[in-house]
Amino acid sequence: MNEQPDVVVVGAGPAGLAAAATLGRHGADVLVVDEQQRPGGQIYRQPPAGFTRPGRQAKAGRALLAEAESTPNVRWLPDSTAWGVFGTRAGLDDYAGPAPGPGRIRVGVHTPDGGRVLEPSALVLTAGAYDLPVPFPGWTLPGVLTAGGVQTFVKAQGLLPGHRFVLAGGHPLLLVVAAQLVDAGARVVEVAFSQHPRVLLPGPRDLLAAFGSAGKLAEGAAALRTLRRARVPIRFGTVIRSAHGDDALDSVNMSRVDSGGVLMPGTERIVGCDVLALGYGFVPSTELARQAGCAVDWRPGEGGWVVAHDAWMRTSVPGVSVAGELTGVAGAEQAEVEGRLAAYGTLQALGLLDADRASALARPVRRVLARRRRFAAAVLSRFAPAPATLGALVTDETVLCRCEEVRAGDIRQALAEHPHLGTANAVKLVTRAGMGLCQGRSCAPAVCGLIAAQTGRTPEQVGTFTAQPPVKPVPLDALAAAERHA
Amino acid sequence: MAHYDTAVVGGGLLGCAVAWHLARAGTRVLLVEKDQLNRHASGQNAGSLHFQLEYRMVEHGDDAAREAARALPLHLDAMRAWAGLEAALGEPCGVAQRGGLMLAETPAEVAALDRKAALEREHGLDVDVLEGARLRDLAPYLAESVRAAAHLPGEGKANPRLVTPAFARAATRHGAELRTGHRVTALHRDGGRWHLHAEGRADTADTVVLAAGVWTTELAAMADTRLPVFPVGLTMSATARTAPLLPHLIQHVGRRLSMKQTPEGNILLGGGWPAKLVTRQGRIDLDHNPELRYESLTGNADAARVVPAVMHLPVIRSWSGMTTLTPDQLPLLGAVPRRPGLYVATGGSAFTLGPTYARLLAATLLGAQPDLPLDGYSPARFGALNFV
Ligand SMILES: Cc1cc2nc3c(=O)[nH]c(=O)nc-3n(C[C@H](O)[C@H](O)[C@H](O)COP(=O)(O)OP(=O)(O)OC[C@H]3O[C@@H](n4cnc5c(N)ncnc54)[C@H](O)[C@@H]3O)c2cc1C
Ligand SMILES: Cc1cc2nc3c(=O)[nH]c(=O)nc-3n(C[C@H](O)[C@H](O)[C@H](O)COP(=O)(O)OP(=O)(O)OC[C@H]3O[C@@H](n4cnc5c(N)ncnc54)[C@H](O)[C@@H]3O)c2cc1C
Repeated sequence: MNEQPDVVVVGAGPAGLAAAATLGRHGADVLVVDEQQRPGGQIYRQPPAGFTRPGRQAKAGRALLAEAESTPNVRWLPDSTAWGVFGTRAGLDDYAGPAPGPGRIRVGVHTPDGGRVLEPSALVLTAGAYDLPVPFPGWTLPGVLTAGGVQTFVKAQGLLPGHRFVLAGGHPLLLVVAAQLVDAGARVVEVAFSQHPRVLLPGPRDLLAAFGSAGKLAEGAAALRTLRRARVPIRFGTVIRSAHGDDALDSVNMSRVDSGGVLMPGTERIVGCDVLALGYGFVPSTELARQAGCAVDWRPGEGGWVVAHDAWMRTSVPGVSVAGELTGVAGAEQAEVEGRLAAYGTLQALGLLDADRASALARPVRRVLARRRRFAAAVLSRFAPAPATLGALVTDETVLCRCEEVRAGDIRQALAEHPHLGTANAVKLVTRAGMGLCQGRSCAPAVCGLIAAQTGRTPEQVGTFTAQPPVKPVPLDALAAAERHA
Repeated sequence: MAHYDTAVVGGGLLGCAVAWHLARAGTRVLLVEKDQLNRHASGQNAGSLHFQLEYRMVEHGDDAAREAARALPLHLDAMRAWAGLEAALGEPCGVAQRGGLMLAETPAEVAALDRKAALEREHGLDVDVLEGARLRDLAPYLAESVRAAAHLPGEGKANPRLVTPAFARAATRHGAELRTGHRVTALHRDGGRWHLHAEGRADTADTVVLAAGVWTTELAAMADTRLPVFPVGLTMSATARTAPLLPHLIQHVGRRLSMKQTPEGNILLGGGWPAKLVTRQGRIDLDHNPELRYESLTGNADAARVVPAVMHLPVIRSWSGMTTLTPDQLPLLGAVPRRPGLYVATGGSAFTLGPTYARLLAATLLGAQPDLPLDGYSPARFGALNFV
């Protein structure tokens, strides 16, 4: 690609698709960068070309996909990772390398054929969310997976990763994944929610609606019917205390929690299974936004750290907008409307829409958004896992950082030995937690929660690990090749 | 308000090491750090123990190299100091001196390497230029393109995550008082004593050591004196862990490169690739890390080709930090003229040479004659900047 796009959209989920389609329709030249082989993101995930098992959700997203794919001016860079944003703090110049021109941002991208730098005028980040990792004894055993991961197996690859499944956590996605497993012929032993039904009142319908789209209520009800028909027990007030097995999972120890979220002694039960799918909720993938310098806010009910933005979805960094789960986990429908809003904001900055026209176009979108946000505030916050419940599962021996094998006890000891430690970054420097291949994606919530609990600091004081490029690993030879191309 | 023999400003390697030397000599020491210990350059650097002249010292021709070589006695001293450091501090600091290689790939670079080695040998550094089978036997992992390498057996690495905290704990054991989260905002002399103000506290000391890294100029200004210290932004990258493959410290005579493997197995890359200082309203903002440059990350990766086995490894993180340079690239070490009792330590490679700077400066404060000449590093050489 010789010509640089006006806008780079990172992520091809509902937010990214809506942003790209809207931008393209109004004349912006758009390039969508996505890690997957085909657009669709987590929820509208399409099977790779050649597979013919379109899921129900993929069908639901087909209209949006078709809209984006048929929009002129939208180009796609699949199988590619945006790993760094440059020039947003100190600005770009041509001392170190040819500068791309005023107002441009530099984005490092890792593609199947090496490295490349994109130099758009605006950036829309829609990187989505990932499964909230919840550590407990045995969580690193093979066979312990995330509900999202199991869904990917089934949806994108048409594969069953095991035979006997237990699903546990606190997110309504568990029901949908359980039904998909039943449909695919798997044996689902039990679905366990940590919350009590009272917390989830007024009922399982809300629970399903919370999944992100009122339109999916029917699908959720269908999931419930499927589970009932297959006689899959659904239990509330139940958590996984530990997972067991020699080299792979063979059973889990389940226990009840009282309505305050406290583990109840004497309620333990061993259940045999070879896959445990965990779904406690989602964490916004804010690393690229944070690396770019975007300000974040702490919103425990919406997944933790979320990217701050204004009414046009613009972040604190000029030229960078966000949409979708990055702004708080709220599901596909909200992601889509935010994507459109981000596009209208960006189109104004590019001079492709005037303010009046943008406001007029945005009006109906804002109405939908206001409705979605009210709903999210009322319902979603109920699914946020209770930190005390999750924290109580962790023993000193429990590994929190899998990459560097740092145990909870190591962190407690470091905090005891260095009374001045109080931030995620400082604890990282001392213990190496968060320094590995995943750069803290799988341990940050638990490590930060532990620091806060142990030191009596607030999550805001503890912060999280600083995001640095590359936000996803990039091989040295790909970086070096980019140097030779430049 | 309390009174101390010495107040040290800055909780990096230099501040903590000076505090340790002074405390174990029995003096009453206060160390004041605005953030947390080891938070800045001392915790962010490459951890290289490089005693050969660096690329930045030889890239500007032979005269400049000869000038830089004046500091080689410090290099020799530091090489010995690191070897004994863990024993002296009583804790591990990740010190491993298994040899360093400075590489040359072109005939011109080989010639530069030979001239550099001759200069270093004049100063007593045990550098040997290896080629052919001798080089391949020692370092079979090097790329074909490497023609020669200057080998110094005493080079290696130490762990920046451990060194400064170890100095700090040793200083505390000898009675030094360490105060973090206190930013010194005023420094003046009155009644024969230095007065330090930090976060609403005021303390006094007979002597003050500025070990404030890139903030040295600010601290000097508080004492109404000028010290020419310039901040520069630098870049580091780390790869995922891999099996041991690189026992040596690797540098390059013609390119910016430092490379080593940590005990955990990560390959660390650096060598002087720039990061861009952040400005705010037209002024350098020292409280923000410099911004990483795309070109520094790709350039550093390209320089790593001299060890082909690392090229498939994923880079998992890059970061930037700031360090100080002086106009003549030499350290700024010793008593500040016309400011009785005020001392400074900064500049140059203050990780590698830090233990030596600290020992010599502490000796000066304690009234002993330092065993290496320090005159060349004295702030007095910039005396023309100061009128009062
Ligand atoms: C020898 C060495 C090996 C390393 N190896 C790895 C590795 O394998 N994997 C890896 O991911 N990283 C590694 N690092 C990098 C390390 O994690 C940090 O990224 C780096 O030291 C400093 O970088 P940063 O500017 O990114 O700051 P960060 O650590 O990301 O932090 C910047 C922010 O952190 C805070 N902060 C940082 N340090 C402290 C502290 N001590 N106390 C209080 N607050 C603090 C500040 O508030 C600041 O705003 C290594 C570093 C060194 C020196
Ligand atoms: C990326 C990078 C790579 C490097 N590589 C090498 C290398 O290979 N070899 C080498 O020898 N050197 C290297 N360096 C340089 C080396 O790290 C520094 O020279 C050394 O750490 C300086 O130590 P210091 O104690 O003087 O400074 P610092 O560690 O910066 O400590 C100064 C301290 O003073 C504190 N302070 C400042 N103002 C105030 C105030 N008003 N009140 C209270 N406290 C204050 C600061 O918060 C800071 O903690 C590198 C540096 C960087 C950033």
